[in-house]
Formats: sequence, C-alpha cells, structure tokens
Amino acid sequence: MNSPQNYTNMSKAFSDLQLLEFLIFDTHRSEELFKEEYYEHLDKEQALAMIASAHALAERDMFPYYQEMDGNPAKYDGNGKVMTHPQLKVIVQNAAEQGWIGASASFEHGGMQIPESVNNAAQHIFQAANNGVQGYLGLSAGAARLITNFGTMEQVERYVKPIFEGQWQGTMALTEPQAGSSLADIKTSATPTDQDYYKIKGQKIFISAGQHEACDNFVHLTLARIEGAPAGVRGISLFIIPKYRVKDDGDLEYNDVFCAGEYEKMGQKGYATTHLVFGDDDNCRGYLVGEANKGLTYMFQLMNEARIGVGQTAASVALAAYKAALQYVQERSQGRHPSEKDPEKDPVLLIEHADVQRMLLTQKAIAEGALSLACECNKRYDLEHVLSGKEKDDNHLLLELLTPVVKAYASEEASRSASLAIQVLGGYGYTLDFPVQQHYRDIKIMAIYEGTTGIQSMDLLGRKVVINNGRALQLLTKEISKSIAQANEYDGLKPYAGQLEEALNGFIAISQHLFKYAQNNELERYLSDANVYMEMAGHMIVGWQWLKIGTTASQLIKDNKHNYTKGFLEGKIHTMKFYYKYELPKTKVCIEVLKEDSWLTDLRDYNWF
Amino acid sequence: MKYLVCVNKTPDTTAKISFKNDGKEFDDSGVQYIMNPYDEWYALVRALELKEANGGEVVLINVGGPENDTVIRKGLAIGGDKAVRINGSGDSFYVASQIANYAKDNNFDIIFAGKESIDYNGSEVPAMVAELLDLPFISYGIKLEMEGETATVTRDVEGGVEIAEVNTPFVISAAKGMAEQRIPNMRGIMMAKKKPLDVVEPTSVEARVEISSFELPPPKAEVKLVDPENMDELVRLLHEEAKVI
Ligand SMILES: Cc1cc2nc3c(=O)[nH]c(=O)nc-3n(C[C@H](O)[C@H](O)[C@H](O)COP(=O)(O)OP(=O)(O)OC[C@H]3O[C@@H](n4cnc5c(N)ncnc54)[C@H](O)[C@@H]3O)c2cc1C
Repeated sequence: MNSPQNYTNMSKAFSDLQLLEFLIFDTHRSEELFKEEYYEHLDKEQALAMIASAHALAERDMFPYYQEMDGNPAKYDGNGKVMTHPQLKVIVQNAAEQGWIGASASFEHGGMQIPESVNNAAQHIFQAANNGVQGYLGLSAGAARLITNFGTMEQVERYVKPIFEGQWQGTMALTEPQAGSSLADIKTSATPTDQDYYKIKGQKIFISAGQHEACDNFVHLTLARIEGAPAGVRGISLFIIPKYRVKDDGDLEYNDVFCAGEYEKMGQKGYATTHLVFGDDDNCRGYLVGEANKGLTYMFQLMNEARIGVGQTAASVALAAYKAALQYVQERSQGRHPSEKDPEKDPVLLIEHADVQRMLLTQKAIAEGALSLACECNKRYDLEHVLSGKEKDDNHLLLELLTPVVKAYASEEASRSASLAIQVLGGYGYTLDFPVQQHYRDIKIMAIYEGTTGIQSMDLLGRKVVINNGRALQLLTKEISKSIAQANEYDGLKPYAGQLEEALNGFIAISQHLFKYAQNNELERYLSDANVYMEMAGHMIVGWQWLKIGTTASQLIKDNKHNYTKGFLEGKIHTMKFYYKYELPKTKVCIEVLKEDSWLTDLRDYNWF
Repeated sequence: MKYLVCVNKTPDTTAKISFKNDGKEFDDSGVQYIMNPYDEWYALVRALELKEANGGEVVLINVGGPENDTVIRKGLAIGGDKAVRINGSGDSFYVASQIANYAKDNNFDIIFAGKESIDYNGSEVPAMVAELLDLPFISYGIKLEMEGETATVTRDVEGGVEIAEVNTPFVISAAKGMAEQRIPNMRGIMMAKKKPLDVVEPTSVEARVEISSFELPPPKAEVKLVDPENMDELVRLLHEEAKVI
C-alpha cells in the first residue's frame, strides 16, 4: 500500500548544519583549537566549508540510498563473498576522495590533521543520512589509526594509504563465538615463525565490513593469543591480518582468510556483519602490531573512540528520525483541539496537539543533548593533542569517564526517541513507507556493539568513577560547577542551574553510598545496579549539556552578534526547560532505587523466574 | 586559454524569505548563503573541465562586499586558480559594468556565468557584460565543446535544442546539463586559503534601477485529494471551487 500522496514519505532533512555550528563552535568553542600549533592550518570558515561539503556528499550519495539498502540487504553468496549494494562502492570512493577516511590522521601518516570536532561533524551527517555506510568509513579510519598509533612505519606505509584511498577496508576483529563481552576468553591463536609473521588460526564472528563488494582487500585488526601467552587479558596481542597479503614484489596473494557467512539482522541491513575463518588451510599470516601481549590495551584506545562514535551515531540517527517526524506533523491534519466543539471545523495539523509536541520535544531533547555530549567528548579528544602535563592527564581522565556515558545514554535514549518518532506518525510510522521504523531498528545495535550497556555501566561504576581515588569524578564536578556558575549569570537560567546542582549533589551522595559496598569487598553487590547508576549519570550529564546549550543561546541572544534565527536560539532555551521538567527528574527515581538496600537481582533459585 | 567565471552569492534554497524596510530590502537575518548553483555546478565546473583538458587559467569574479569571500573561496576550493572581488554593490548594470571593466584589461577567451541567479532570476548580467565588451553572447548553454578557438554550444530552446558555433572570445550563460556538480574536497578547501583573492575597488557606475518594493507570493492553497474513482467530484470541484471549467 502506498501512503497518501500528500505526505512526503521521505523526509528531506536529515541533519542540521546550524545545529552543528552552534554545538561545535558556540557551545563547545572548538574554534580555540585552531590557535594551537597542531591545528593551525585550519580556521572556522574552512571547517564549516568541509562540513558543508560532507553534507552535499551525504545528500547526493548516501541519503537517497538509505531505505534502498535496507530493502536490499548485504547477502552471502555461499562461497566467501558478500554481495552489497553497488552504491556502496561509489560512496566509499567519493568519501575517500573527499578526505573523510583519513581526515583526522596526522600529516605524517598521510592524513589531513583535522580535529575530531570537525571530522565528527561530518561523520554525524553521514550517520544521520545512512548510518550503515558510515560504519564502513568509520571502521577503516579506526583500523588505520591503530596501525598509525602502534604499528611500524613500514606497516603504516603498506596498509594505511590504500585504506585512506578507500581501496582497502579496515576492520576490528575481536568477537569470537565464546568471547563477546568477555574478551579475556578469546582463543584465536598465533604461532611464531622464524619470519616476520605469525601463523594464525581461529574464528571471529559478527565482524562488521569483514567482506563486501566495495573494496579489493580487507585489513583485519585482530586480537589473538600467542602460543604460551598468559591466560586472560594479559595474554592478548594485536595483529594485522590482511585477506590478501602483500608479497615482496608488491603483488597480492590470498592469505587464507575466508568469509564463512553473513548475519541477517533486524537493522543496518546494508552493513555487512561477517563470520571470518583464519587459517583453515594453515596458511594465514598475521603481523604483530606493537608489543606482544599488549593487544587489548591498544585495542581499548580505539574502542574508547569507537564508543564515543557509537554514542554519536545513535544521537545522529535519532536526530534524523526526529527530522522526519517533524516534517510529517506539519503535513498531516488530524482531529481538533479539545475545546473545539464544532465538527464542521477543519481538522488541525498534528503539530498543534500538546501530546505530539511533548513527543517531539522529547526527541529533540534526547537527540540534541546526546549529540552535544558527543561534541564535548570530541573536543576533549582533540585537546589531547594540544594540552600537556597535568592538564592533559585531567582532560584524559574526564574523557574516560564521559565515554561510557555517551555510549550508554545515547544508545538507550535514542531507541526511545526513535520509538517516539514512529509514535508521532501513528500507523504510517509502522509501515515501510516511512524511514522512522528503519531508524528505530538500526539504533538497537548501538546499545550492544562496542560493549553492551551493561558493560558500559560496569565500566563507569566499577572503574571510571573510582580510578585515581575518584579524581575523574572530582573533575566532572568541577566542570559542571563551572557551567552552573556561568548559567547563574542569567536570571532566566538560575532555576535550572539550581536543579542541576541538586542533581549533581544527589549523584555524588549516592556514589559515596555505593562505594561502601566496594570498600566491604561486596563487588557483586556494588555493581548489581550499575545500569541504574548509569541511567542517573546519563540524565544528569546530559542535563549539564542542556544547561551549557541554554547558557550559550542566552549569551548569543544578549550579545546579538550571530547569524542564527531567533526561533533557533529560543528553541534551544525552550528545549532546555523541557529537559529539566521531563527528563532530569528521572535522576531522583534512580537515586531512590540505588538508596534502597534490598537486593533483588541475586536469585539463586531460577525457578523464581 | 583564460576563463573568467562570474560567481554570485544567493540565499540557500531552504532559507525563509522575508523583507524589511517597507518591503524594499531583503531581510537576511538568520539566512545562510551559498554560491549560486548555476554558477557553481555548471559554469565553474565546465570552465575547470576545459582547463583540465587544454590547460589555462580559471579566474573567478564576484561583485560584492567582504561577506562574499566565503562563497568565493568555495569556488577556489572546487578548483578556480584565483579570484577577484570588486568591492561594491548595485543593480545588474552596475555589476555587469564592474565585470566588463575588469575583463576588458585581462583578455579572457571565455566568460562564463550561470543562466540566472536563483534569488532574483534576472538573467541579466552576462548579457550586459557581452554588450559592454561588444562580444558575442550565448545564453542557456547546456553543452559546450571546444575545437581550437571555435566553440560548439548546445542551447536549450522551447521544445528542443539549438546548436550554435562561436569563436572566442565570447560570453556564455550555463544551464543544467553543462557539467556535473563537484563537491569541494578537503585538500581543495585547505588549498583555497593559499590562492589569491584580490580585492579591487569599483569604478564609479550609476545604478539604473531602484527597487520600490518586494512582495511575497500568496500562500499556497491547500491540496484536496480526490478519489480517482470519483470523477464527478473532481469536475464539481474544478467547476465550483477552482472555477477553472
Ligand atoms: C551487527 C553487529 C556488528 C558487530 N560488529 C563487530 C565487529 O565489527 N567486531 C567485533 O569484534 N565484534 C562485533 N560485534 C560483536 C559485539 O561487539 C558483541 O555482540 C557484543 O560485545 C556482545 O557480545 P555477545 O554478543 O557475545 O553477548 P554476551 O557477551 O553474551 O552478552 C549477552 C548479555 O549479557 C550481558 N553480560 C555479558 N557479560 C556480562 C557480565 N560480565 N556482567 C553482566 N552482564 C553481562 C550483556 O550485557 C548482554 O546483555 C558485532 C555484533 C553485531 C550484532
């Protein structure tokens, strides 16, 4: 069935360049990066030009294929190949030509030395336009970064250039059938030889972009265990395992990496998820990256970036769903206002109903708030290149704390946000004619890969808030207090600054309350409600972002030196108010739950389920 | 060969249009600007293709204030070699006079412009430039091939095409079909900063047209959907409500 013809069944807007400029340059002041030596080859005008180029690319090459790729999923051919949509190759080529795979790598490594704040603005646009295809680009960039950070110059020269050119695909191969959340249990083996390589044997599952039609070769950054290495995480090493290895004469030869299947999924259907088998014919060579047994440490550096990236993707897809919903409600009329008693009166547009507005504002609050948190993280990531000494360490610690929060908050809340987008469209939202159901299906994976929400929550409570005697928590408190002080300069913001202060105090007090379990060595108990703790932390921290946004908008309005529309800035302040009324109070419920001492999730008798 | 490409700045196609000062002036608060798509996608890109094939130089020209520099630099990022901005503003005659004045001393083989700018849609400037320089002018070109100094231009005309031949130097306005959009890449954007953008003071020219006011078109009427089975209803609506039959 087709939808009624007077609705545009494909929303044309999927992202918002003004919002990006506002978040990156006004709220998070990324322009100051360009004063630093590492980034001084850039200015704001160029950064905005690059973002505009990314938007033009997404509009032309990516967004029109979003629904089409969903309808024509990646498919295994039964013999090692995964058939993907032909447009994928066009996208990878054009994105590479534009510079978006190697954007943030240093000049030394063949990149463009663009701050992540700018690069990720472009990636956000790609994610909102067609999140699966951005996955291919993001993985290549990530794999290349592992090589540039920890590999030899020879490895950089061999692998990174073709990855940046979009000829070769980089992947991250961690997961095995028995080792998903628990990477300590991986079994893929690496046997030393008297040459410069190890012989690899093993299987990896769920490997994104592990095989497809858009690239000629695949460079798998793979975790494996060198024979005789200690058990657990201290015995894991990182290898480059190309599908085709480079011979001394430069020719390629098959490296015994076989794609044994592709998973059919509920979402991200154009994004191949593969099953890889290494060394079935005993002829698979892996090249060690960095030192032996340090693989997981290396991989974690990349995973932290990837976690911010996944959180940002969730926010971006939620924003795209919101834009689609926003368009629909301004086209469809239904019903009348409760006070309108005349049935002859024309029905009103959906956007006029209070409940529809509530759903829209909830989506805006979640998507823009989470995106702002991702921008905060990107900026802090960039600062690592320019700060030094204690300032650098502090910045790093705070980023470490925020990373699981942006991943978990954004992925969980974006699901709710996209669900509301469907709800706003009513029955049509549930049909394949509109993209919102696809956004909703796509988002779910973001709470699973790169570490589930459960794993993120345990990382936050079990590690990040306690490391260095709680230093990260102190730094967070300091930053939030700074924002509260800035907001207090505006009378209209004082009540919200007060609410955030209360939420922050509640957060600190409940953290202290929980720490006592850890001090008593009751670790299971301590971590049992880590998810609730994460929910509280997420809502408080995104509340901080909204206060920053509200303060920035208030300042721009006051100074009256900007080029935003009045509605744009006033909408920011209004959404902040909405967040503080409808979302921030959720921290109180979490605190109540965490305060309550009974423990209901340690059942030993499974008959009770 | 030397190519001059006229590049104009226009509001983004999604900008909300409103007026101030009694409807005499465009209100540009909150408006994002872009390069006029006909200049960018067709005129500029075709000039670049010719340069890439046969060598030469592509110079961009814009008449306007420093606020136009962003748009001009986009043209440099796409591949223009250098740019000139004539620091003044006025009506079409003023703009055309400034361009002609600059072109007169610089011996361009082809002067390109878009077929119109998407804000005022006047299609006036390139024709005036040609007239002021006493050069042949071909409008609405959808294809341009060069053979030595002779150009074969396919023009869009009502219901078909017209094929014309002209020798350099000449002025041409480019329409859809002339070339394919090029999106500036990162390297181009970085290099654009290093390319020359000269600012030249305008010569004194009197504007000949004064705007007395702008008016927005009436809001679009609501759409009524009629079931394809129900032709009688369609006829009734066309007769009674639309009053067109
Ligand atoms: C589409 C897709 C793409 C993927 N891409 C990649 C990729 O490119 N590379 C790659 O290496 N992997 C990839 N993965 C794998 C992904 O990272 C894992 O699926 C994920 O880490 C979870 O592991 P698992 O599936 O084994 O679930 P499990 O680890 O079995 O987890 C199941 C549930 O148990 C919970 N749980 C597990 N352990 C604990 C614990 N200790 N305490 C409390 N709760 C726990 C989890 O939170 C989860 O809710 C991908 C997966 C999918 C579906």
